[in-house]
Amino acid sequence: MQIRKKKTFDPEEYTAAERSVFSKRTNIIVSILFALLALLVFLPILLVIIVSFSSESSVTELGYSFFPKAWSLESWRYLFRSGTYLTRAIINSFLITAAGTVLGLVLMCPIAYALSRKTFRWRRAILVFLMIPMLFSGGLVSTYMVNTQILHLQNTCFALILPGLCSTWFIMILRNYYQTAVPDSLIEAAMVDGGRQFQIFLKIVIPITTPVMMTIALFQIFAYWNSWYPALLYLDSNHTELYPLQYVLVNMQRSIDMLAKDAQYMSGAQTYTPPAVTVRMVLVVLAILPILVIFPFFQRFVKTGMTVGAVKE
Amino acid sequence: MKKPSQKNNVRKTGRKAPKARRDRELFAMSLPAILWYLAFCYLPLFGIFFAFKQFTPKPGESLLKNLFVNSPWAGLDNFSFLFRSSELPQILFNTLFYNLIFLVLGILIPVMLAVVLAELHSKFFSGVVQMVMLLPYFLSWVIVGYCLYGFLATDEGQVNHVLRMFGAAAVQWYQSPGYWRVILILVEIWKSAGYAMVIYLCAITAIDRTLYEGAKMDGATFWQRVRYITLPMLRPTIATIFILRTGSLLASDFGLFYQVPLDSNSLQPVTQTLDVYVYKALMTQANFSFSAAASFLQNAVGCVLLIIANAVVKKTDEDSSLM
Repeated sequence: MQIRKKKTFDPEEYTAAERSVFSKRTNIIVSILFALLALLVFLPILLVIIVSFSSESSVTELGYSFFPKAWSLESWRYLFRSGTYLTRAIINSFLITAAGTVLGLVLMCPIAYALSRKTFRWRRAILVFLMIPMLFSGGLVSTYMVNTQILHLQNTCFALILPGLCSTWFIMILRNYYQTAVPDSLIEAAMVDGGRQFQIFLKIVIPITTPVMMTIALFQIFAYWNSWYPALLYLDSNHTELYPLQYVLVNMQRSIDMLAKDAQYMSGAQTYTPPAVTVRMVLVVLAILPILVIFPFFQRFVKTGMTVGAVKE
Repeated sequence: MKKPSQKNNVRKTGRKAPKARRDRELFAMSLPAILWYLAFCYLPLFGIFFAFKQFTPKPGESLLKNLFVNSPWAGLDNFSFLFRSSELPQILFNTLFYNLIFLVLGILIPVMLAVVLAELHSKFFSGVVQMVMLLPYFLSWVIVGYCLYGFLATDEGQVNHVLRMFGAAAVQWYQSPGYWRVILILVEIWKSAGYAMVIYLCAITAIDRTLYEGAKMDGATFWQRVRYITLPMLRPTIATIFILRTGSLLASDFGLFYQVPLDSNSLQPVTQTLDVYVYKALMTQANFSFSAAASFLQNAVGCVLLIIANAVVKKTDEDSSLM
């Protein structure tokens, strides 16, 4: 029985099955439960996708339904035909994401490398310097005041990019990885040959540590693509040309949903005419799409980041 | 006496020269990030004074001058105003209420899911489940707000549609605070449980397999294995997450409490948390001192809680503490 099992099972799957206490029947039942759970988790996203492909009349009749009366590409076409405003927002989001991710890596990787060198004289001092902001921050008020009145970031694209560039958490992940994945002997050999630290970093360290960079890049991409809070804080309604996609969505909900908002927002400036209901959902799908597309490919990088991050030093 | 040491020094620096150069180079590499930290983390730190000043800016003058020269000291006045505010008890209650529930459920549910998911026979299937459940974590609160709106919108929402189908009256969800405690908890779990689950699952897969094999040979049941192997081995991971979450007991996810309920005024009694309050005091009432005092409080308490939680964990289990 055991031997026959071994032959018919995929080796990896075999060990998992062997390790498990679940009998075949329990396994099937639990699998079905998990499949249902996963479906349940996906339903809200599915609903938005379905609505974006529903016809307008179907939505007026049935509401946001999983089973629309008629399918239609109308709102997708409308979006691509219509306003520079919306396409502009999508382009903004892409540019902000790209700039933030690249700049963030350019800042974080070198300092992480410096901190990974155990004999670096300022190592402890810099570590403490990076840890303090994790414990204590100035709070929203002073951050806001500094960014607007000293750094003058208000109503510029820098307000959406600069504040999120570095994270001590990410620097620590990078540092831990450099420490474990790059053999000290390799760097010492390069130093004996008279290599400059920056060259060593660029030519030796970067090429063998791309997985962790991908991980951090991925987290930054998600963070910047999803960010709307800086836009809420620092952009006013006279600068709609800077709005990222997520913030356009925030505004749209405000301007359409009459029931939920109060008079204060009603008087708020509305610089565009609200498009039809389904078009909103098209934008939502556009905002989810890049994440859905990259996600399966990079899942393993996400996992690297999470496991490195979850393990304390 | 002096001469030999000087000689020594010369010789040492001669050998140390590449080291000094290396340190210089490494420092130069750290410099850009250090400058960023100075500008975006350390510069706002002086803003702690906002909480102890009565901020009276004169137009046209620099922020620092306005804060330190033009504004009189307020002592603890800002805080006593804050504590006398009629809104504060509710805000503090909301913040603590949600955070405590998130703390408990945010550990309980993902651990339970991970423990069971780790037993599934098919790795491929488990991978697919993980991927789907991880997805909401990477959506913004804005998107989450829209997803929820698809269900709860008064006219077009799916839930009201179903209610009407069964002849029940439609509910104006965004104006009925009674439901929102449950709704917000469900939304938070929906968004973050998958992520935590994958963290625990990674920790479980890292557990030595021979432990399980031995247990299986001894005829241990599922519950015994969970009780005596998995949970003890997960302890450091759980402790880390517990410490971090305790440290942010007064912090709350702004997006969840502001954007997901669409900033609806009628929901305010159950959705207003400290972060939302700090934001609103600053942006809609321009009440700097109030906002700064609230945010200082949040920060200080968070800092203390983090240290206490860490100390408690350290006492019960030396290896699981963070610091």
